[in-house]
Amino acid sequence: MALPRDLSIGFSPQEIQFLIENEPIRIMPRITTRKTKKQLAKDPGAQWSLITCDDSTVNNMVAMNSCEVTLWLALLLKQQGKCNIVVPSWLTLQQLEKYLEFELKNPSRFSNLPWNWLVVSSLLFARCSDDFQDPVHLLRSKVQDLREVRLGKVNKGLQYLNESHLQLENLSLMEINEMRPYACGIMDKLRTIHDSSNDTT
Amino acid sequence: MGYYDIDDILADGTRFPCRFNYDVPGLGYLEGNPGRPISKNAKLELPLWMVHLLAVVGAQSNEDSRVEEPLPFVELLPPDLFAPRVLNAIKSGATSLDLHSISPHFYTLAEKWATLFSDKELSQVLKDMLLERGQEINNHAISVSMFSNCNQTNDSAVFLQTLDEFEKTIYRDTNVNCKEMKKWLVLK
Repeated sequence: MALPRDLSIGFSPQEIQFLIENEPIRIMPRITTRKTKKQLAKDPGAQWSLITCDDSTVNNMVAMNSCEVTLWLALLLKQQGKCNIVVPSWLTLQQLEKYLEFELKNPSRFSNLPWNWLVVSSLLFARCSDDFQDPVHLLRSKVQDLREVRLGKVNKGLQYLNESHLQLENLSLMEINEMRPYACGIMDKLRTIHDSSNDTT
Repeated sequence: MGYYDIDDILADGTRFPCRFNYDVPGLGYLEGNPGRPISKNAKLELPLWMVHLLAVVGAQSNEDSRVEEPLPFVELLPPDLFAPRVLNAIKSGATSLDLHSISPHFYTLAEKWATLFSDKELSQVLKDMLLERGQEINNHAISVSMFSNCNQTNDSAVFLQTLDEFEKTIYRDTNVNCKEMKKWLVLK
């Protein structure tokens, strides 16, 4: 069919990344795009005009004044050395440790990490590792720890699949996507089997 | 299960033992001797797509037919597939069971059977089996290395031989998804 079979089941990780790159993030620009009235009158020059996100912030950047732009734009600017990315507050050693502690203390619950933590952290580790306050290798290992603890819980939870519902609080989009084909496939079959013997027609 | 679903069509071709409740002229070819009538109480194996209708529809008798439900053309006999022997084997250890050798379309057939007879016990056994085997399938599907297709351990290869067709699609989907995820994590 027009859509490959693997993509008709769920998202590919690249698609998830694409969705998450649309989220806002704070940056420190290293360029100034704001123009005084005089400059504007003399030469309007090149202006950003975006249709999928707000372009007023991009046209009003002042060097070293933080502002919020979408992640994909931030990564593009970062690539050219035109900004520094302000790392989100949950992506610090201290905060990650708190999350990890919560995960270990509550074997049946997930900590309330942001829904895009896995993608954002791996994107930022790869693309702006110089912008972190904490040593990146320690952050990486904390994120890896978190991922493994949560993966363990997910796999434990999969034995309680049933035909009616499943509650997955605080599970991030990437983690949900990872379990989607299995959980949906099995639950769908459980449902049809359940319905088969309880047919009231 | 859709009309154009190949696996469903293949599953529907499975033969089930049944017994005729009527003498029907001209149907002898079902028994292998065309031109002859089929006799009452003849036991033969017919594909599911045929029997599941014949077991429901009855002959329009000339006498008062609306007294009660007419006797259906055929009566389905309990097949080997869902014999107590098989169900006990499932209950005692679903993961070590060679489901593929019992029937490559076990779930589909069992589901249809449960629908025909509103068999609650069978569907409970099926649900338990699906969950138990599903765990194992998931474990095998996520523990495959992304760099080669052929370094499956002997253990996993043996288990995969025992999967029925539905479980194979689950395995494949889970496995592909997991590989994509691992690839993304490494490249990022």
